Amino acid sequence: MPLSIEGLTICYRVPGGTITALSEVSLSVPNGRTLAVVGESGSGKSTVALAVMGLLASEAQIPAGRIFYEGANLLALSPEARRRLRGARIAMVFQDPFSVLNPSLRIAEQVGEGLVYHKGFSKQAALARATQLLHEVGIAEAAAVGNAYPHELSGGMRQRALIAGALAAEPEFLILDEPTTALDVTIEAQILDLLEELKRRRGLSMLFISHNLGVVRRIADEVAVLYAGEVVESGPTVEVFERPLHPYTKGLLAAIPRLAARQARLAAIPGRLLDLRQLPAGCRFEPRCPFAQSPCDEPQTLGGLSGTRAVRCVRAGELMSARWPALGAPPPLAPRRASVDTPPVVATEEVSKTFTLSRGLAALTFEGWRPAIRPLRVRAIDGVTLTIASGEVLGLVGESGSGKTTLGRAILRLVDPDGGSIHIAGKDVTRTPQAALAPMRRIAQIVFQNPDSSLNPRKTVGEIIARPLQRFAIVPAGEVANRVHALLDRVRLPAHYADRYPHQMSGGEKQRVGIARAIATDPQFIVCDEPVSALDVSVQAAIVNLLADLRDRLHVAYLLISHDISVVAYLADRIAVMYRGRIVENGASEAVLAPPHHPYTEVLLSAVPTITRADHDRIRLPLEARRSSKATGCVFAGRCPRRIGPICDTVEPPVRQAGPDHSMACHLPLAPTTQ
Amino acid sequence: MPAQLKAGLAIVGAIVLLSLLAPWIAPHPWDTISIRTRFQPPSTTYWFGTDDYGRDVLSRLLMGGRLSLAMGIGATVISVLFGVPVGLIAGYVGGKVDEVLMRIADVLMAVPAIMLGLLVLAVTPPALWKTAVAVGFVYVPLIARVARSVTLGLANVEFVEAARARAESAAHILFREILPNAWPPLIVEASLRVTYAILLGSALSFLGLGAQPPSSDWGLMISEARAFIDRAPWIALAPGLAMCLLVIGINLIGDGLRERLDPRLKSQLARV
Repeated sequence: MPLSIEGLTICYRVPGGTITALSEVSLSVPNGRTLAVVGESGSGKSTVALAVMGLLASEAQIPAGRIFYEGANLLALSPEARRRLRGARIAMVFQDPFSVLNPSLRIAEQVGEGLVYHKGFSKQAALARATQLLHEVGIAEAAAVGNAYPHELSGGMRQRALIAGALAAEPEFLILDEPTTALDVTIEAQILDLLEELKRRRGLSMLFISHNLGVVRRIADEVAVLYAGEVVESGPTVEVFERPLHPYTKGLLAAIPRLAARQARLAAIPGRLLDLRQLPAGCRFEPRCPFAQSPCDEPQTLGGLSGTRAVRCVRAGELMSARWPALGAPPPLAPRRASVDTPPVVATEEVSKTFTLSRGLAALTFEGWRPAIRPLRVRAIDGVTLTIASGEVLGLVGESGSGKTTLGRAILRLVDPDGGSIHIAGKDVTRTPQAALAPMRRIAQIVFQNPDSSLNPRKTVGEIIARPLQRFAIVPAGEVANRVHALLDRVRLPAHYADRYPHQMSGGEKQRVGIARAIATDPQFIVCDEPVSALDVSVQAAIVNLLADLRDRLHVAYLLISHDISVVAYLADRIAVMYRGRIVENGASEAVLAPPHHPYTEVLLSAVPTITRADHDRIRLPLEARRSSKATGCVFAGRCPRRIGPICDTVEPPVRQAGPDHSMACHLPLAPTTQ
Repeated sequence: MPAQLKAGLAIVGAIVLLSLLAPWIAPHPWDTISIRTRFQPPSTTYWFGTDDYGRDVLSRLLMGGRLSLAMGIGATVISVLFGVPVGLIAGYVGGKVDEVLMRIADVLMAVPAIMLGLLVLAVTPPALWKTAVAVGFVYVPLIARVARSVTLGLANVEFVEAARARAESAAHILFREILPNAWPPLIVEASLRVTYAILLGSALSFLGLGAQPPSSDWGLMISEARAFIDRAPWIALAPGLAMCLLVIGINLIGDGLRERLDPRLKSQLARV
């Protein structure tokens, strides 16, 4: 048992009281196994990782508990002894590969750093070993990558380099804090493969922190579910996922949109995390629990149940087979009109946008001896043609960098396109000057990804929602307050929230305010740019349901941009798949989700970690695009697992009809593949 | 509230209060000349001694505080009034407008501040308000620089984009959306500018281009005392120490505000 935590309690002193981040948490990681700690933001999962590493902030206090590593209590060790342990025997991989690496040091130096420090390697030997380590984590051109600076590498490569650095001093124990959260699904799948392989090869034990249940299902042998600083359930992963015992676990699992079963509404966990400054004596989940009864007010204990499993709920036994209540489908509304009788809300034709990354002297290069100005250009969107019918939801999926956000911005003229045309509600707005766009802005709105930055922190919720009403004079001045309350009600927030400032609300509530602001003008069309990807799973379901309700009630069309194809699949009538600025597949949701697929769609679908299957056949993308020598071929040719031959590199694939409402750009024959 | 902020507020508050009450609490008239009381060292009658005209240094110090504070605050208000809009526009509009405004700012910043002040004052007869305007003008590019860098950070934040998606005017975006969020760093910068403005104003007075005798600006007092520094050092010492104390107080306020308003300090708790 390399690591075991016993009764660990950690508090943070904050203005206005003390937050109890962890309350008597006990965990253990057996040799060579992976324990996943699952929980939403505020559950204390990162605090567990930092406590083991001895990296807690100075405001933290540890009133009780012990952390044993190989029999020694870490909390009793001197800071110097802990420092020697850190990195050498217990290593940590942090969440964000974009900010953890030092931008001014070469990769190999950072990977080999620990060797010089812990193992007394010479600098030369450390660099040589770093190259081997980079090779071990699956980087083909290890020497070249080692010589590169972090900004020259993709997110997946950086995360590999970080893992290599963590492995450098041959630790036996690895702590991973959300190692794949910042990455695309295709890259995430690769990193998870790598971790599994390393675990097998080196016999590592791992503590894996994550909020993503699909990832946990894939990687972990055991799982501990954390809620408000308490372990509410623990046990072997497969059992916990297949027969969850604690109501919170049931809720989390029910809230995940599933590709296989598209429901009318997602199950959601109501309410919000309690105030960690004043903890109740009884069950901490009680206010949000649909099964709560009188015994829930009393202190709950983590009780063993059937050997390997433990759950903190008095009613767990009787609720064994109870399911999280599903939300019924809303009352049927008038069927949404077919797209033929009204003109499309949005129609784009061959829209393109190229960003110039370096201009002027920064673009100066030499061709032989001759200086030449070669500005570095990136084609963010490259000839995109789309239509969105009135009241229709078009899902737009693709990895980061595929141009989906730029396309959403370009349609709203927040970014000016270079070419093509954009029609909104029948009017050509491609070249309308900004000052004359007010009528279009009234009918086309936007909901942003990050609820923290999309609301002005100096304004109250009431001011934020009232502004569009005043700007477009939608209601007379005397009516504004009433309308604000009506809009708050529409997004299911109580009226008194009008006086709150954004920082007084949770992420999900802020996102509701963002939605209320967007629907204030009674728009016909809303660009939803990753509306739920910054939110916790339980909140995510509620926001997705809200978007579905608003679509049904207000008959508004969405362009739903997301990297998560399961969210898109749940809400969208039609799906467009984007790769490097181009739409590679486009059609009705059912048609896109079913074969035949474009090879890229197939990869995206197979990379989504699901909670229902522990493992299934996945298609792996090569890590780096083999850069096609000519700019004429298919954009995906360099990474395509189904590449036919030279034709992919040289001839642009034709857009072909795969069905009545289904088109894709690929050279492959369209006969449904047997897969 | 950080301890620095409390200490700074206490020092500056005391100086402001004493200066405002100067006409009533000054033990002697500040401008009465008397041959018999020339060069009196500090005593129970004249706490800080008397100067070469026999005037009470303490009384002059209290009255002079008004001028120095008016100079510091007035000049800062002028620099903020002009610098903030310039910075907001440069940061938000960007492109050529930004280039032109910032190159002008660079040129102004390349000229030593005191030279620039001299230039403004040399063409007209000196007066205190002109000194304040000149000093304020000298600091416009500095405030503009700060306002611009804050605006650059805010111009692409999503709530500004939301305002653009509502077809808001540039004025609304600059003054209603961006400016309220830009205040914290600007206030810190402005509080430091007050200090520099007092010093620069005193320097100009010292050179004879600011307050004119017989008024008792601190810089002017030091200037006049220079000739007698070997015989009666207290005449220069009192305004010198007062200025040090005021500068320290304002700097403490600036540092305290920085600590209090810095969002990074709040985000340390976000990990919980």
